[in-house]
Amino acid sequence: MGAFLARRLAGVIPVIFGVSIVIFMLIQLAPGDAATVLLGPQASEAAKIELRHTLGLDQPLVSQYVVWLARTLSGNFGTSIATQLPVATLVVPRFLNTLILTFGSLVLAVAIGYAIGLFAGLRSHSLFDRLSMSLALLAGSAPPFWLGLILVLLFAIQLRWLPVSGMQDMAGNGGWLDVLHHLVLPSVTTALGPAAIMARIVRSSVIEALGRSHVRVARAKGLSRATLIRRHVILNALPPIVTITGLQLGYLLGGALLTEVVFAWPGLGALLYDSITARDLPVIQATTLLIALAFVLANIAVDLINAALDPRLREA
Amino acid sequence: MPAETDTLDPHATGGWGTYQITYQIFEGLVKEDLTKPNAATPPIVPGLATSWDISDDGLVYTFHLRQGVKFHDGTPFDAAAVKFNFDRFWNESSPDFYKKAKAFVIAYTKWIRSVDVIDPMTVKITLTAPNYQWLRQGLQSYGQPLMVSPASVKQFGNEGVALHPVGTGPFRFVQRDQGVKTVIERNDAYWGAKAKLDRVIFRPLQDPATRVNALENDEVQMITTPPWDEIERLTGEGFVLSTNNNAPYINYMHLNFKNPALQDVRVRKAINMAIDRAGITKEIMHGTGRPEGGMLSPGTDAYDPQFKGSAYDPEGAKKLLAEAGVKDLKLVFELPQYGTGELVETWIQRDLKKVGIDVELRKYEWVTYLGKWAGGMSPDVAMNEIGWGMSTPAWIGVVSRCDSAPPGGINSGYYCNPEVDKLLDQAIVTRDPAAAKDIYQKVNRIITDDAAFVPIDDDLEPILLSSKVKGFVNPPEDWFDLSTVSVE
Repeated sequence: MGAFLARRLAGVIPVIFGVSIVIFMLIQLAPGDAATVLLGPQASEAAKIELRHTLGLDQPLVSQYVVWLARTLSGNFGTSIATQLPVATLVVPRFLNTLILTFGSLVLAVAIGYAIGLFAGLRSHSLFDRLSMSLALLAGSAPPFWLGLILVLLFAIQLRWLPVSGMQDMAGNGGWLDVLHHLVLPSVTTALGPAAIMARIVRSSVIEALGRSHVRVARAKGLSRATLIRRHVILNALPPIVTITGLQLGYLLGGALLTEVVFAWPGLGALLYDSITARDLPVIQATTLLIALAFVLANIAVDLINAALDPRLREA
Repeated sequence: MPAETDTLDPHATGGWGTYQITYQIFEGLVKEDLTKPNAATPPIVPGLATSWDISDDGLVYTFHLRQGVKFHDGTPFDAAAVKFNFDRFWNESSPDFYKKAKAFVIAYTKWIRSVDVIDPMTVKITLTAPNYQWLRQGLQSYGQPLMVSPASVKQFGNEGVALHPVGTGPFRFVQRDQGVKTVIERNDAYWGAKAKLDRVIFRPLQDPATRVNALENDEVQMITTPPWDEIERLTGEGFVLSTNNNAPYINYMHLNFKNPALQDVRVRKAINMAIDRAGITKEIMHGTGRPEGGMLSPGTDAYDPQFKGSAYDPEGAKKLLAEAGVKDLKLVFELPQYGTGELVETWIQRDLKKVGIDVELRKYEWVTYLGKWAGGMSPDVAMNEIGWGMSTPAWIGVVSRCDSAPPGGINSGYYCNPEVDKLLDQAIVTRDPAAAKDIYQKVNRIITDDAAFVPIDDDLEPILLSSKVKGFVNPPEDWFDLSTVSVE
């Protein structure tokens, strides 16, 4: 298991390195420059040239990249071009906020998706199965920004149960309960799509496991239904479910970025948008790196869980 | 607010949204009085100077400073503080000089020859040439010479002002959580009328629907840039729409004088006549805009509301095009991509199609667009657009003078009429506002006769408020004074 983990972790480095190069080059391809954005249309050419020089933007691309890499490897993300603030102070709190939203959505998606999928699978072709799978199809196809607005109209504007935007009550003192209160709508919005997909996968895995010969043998031996489902059905249905859950984690992270805009949740999404429009390269780099890192680490976690469930995978 | 604001260093920032915050924290020697909703232009009133004398030749400004004023950190305001601020944004030989500030405040500082402290409460500023719009030019977007506490700059450094903005205004800075909120609170030691609100929280809410929902749910009490098509419903539900007829803001198009098809003035005139401006302001902007025919911003004392410009006349436009011998004209129109969709631009495209001009819309993301616009159009492009203006009539020169052509200027279509430049040179040295007004209006007529631009509409700065908000004034400027506002 240790060697397996080491192999997986070693694979992270080239991926992150590749992502950083691709992002760096893509930003350079886009026209427009930070000096014009920073100084405004009335600035003289001389002032713009001077600012580009101060920011190091007049250096060749390769040396700009090497400077950035050396600094980042020493743990320094640099200074934001647009705000003059250290990048870490901008990105890290936002990253934590995005993780809160992603984690909240994951818990909801798993709870909803697994429960519905399991019941639908155990009672396949029942009314519950048909109804829940049709609903899952609808929820899975609804784009999060649309779904978010509908939920806001219903629960915040009409019923006044929940807040519309932000992560905390701006006039209040905050606290965890306040954050949870604000978390409900954005996490439901982000979770419904992945929950629908999980429900369908869980359902089909359960149906498949139910049909396997060892389950029929166990049933013939007179095992109680509860033990049968717990020991023989769920355990065997798990590997594909865990894999799809891991994949959905990436979707949740991406979906959270969209949801953040609708709910003004102060996460990475809005920061990434602002930094792209300001050509704020150090912030864009740090943000995309963190997202890539989170995605890769989540996949490793899925591999580890699957390897723990199925010893055969450890050899792969 | 629709976007996060820029840094809160008034010398090194340019955005209107940012001034909506910095106006509350900082003050200059003079200020625009933003508490008069119906003024044609915001009156210039004493700020940190109680009075000022201008020499007969228009070159020397002597400012008599207000006694007993303290910055929010307790630093006394005096002539030394004024000198320190000018050193920061103007004097390259000073150790306190800040390059980025100079690049922003340039429209104001490029006129300065010297800054001298006469006594602890008097400062003399000498200009290189007379400019009777100079005080006003210091109060426009892109760099304002407002007074920052010297002690705070020394403590936190030039870059540190962004996070530690310390001024003398009716509100003091409390906290900024980048992308989430900026908080200011009442300055109880303010020299003038104290603010009514204890604190104000500014929140960037990018999505227009989110802004509307937050207002409806009473999470915010005021939103700027509301979506046009929601305004009627919200006012029906009791929210209050505030607009200003004199906001210094025109939406207009530059025509490219390097484009071969636009060399003939008849073609440029036909484009102007083909566009149904009243339709745009009624159908798309739902009355929060007004058709504009000239290139003088409203909100300036030279603006003439009676000036009509080109009338909507598609048949006349067709005739002019026929006279000019133009057939199957195809033009490229560059524009920025808006979150709300390009409603106005597709309307213009349709109007031009009706008189036989095919328009290709080329959309760019904002930063890319800004570079293209400020850099000047390439000859294959016929027109681009922007929404801009200032409360000084000298702005018309910023976009139309020969020496404002790129690079270095933003006369994006390279319009050049030496007569216009000559008149603008005259206007800036004319001390009598009435005489200056006549000259600016003459310039406006020449530019209109040349059909150098396509003015479209004036933005009436719609702002939506909760009915609990009292005392808000929507002034003829792109920012406002929150010291008069209270919430019930």
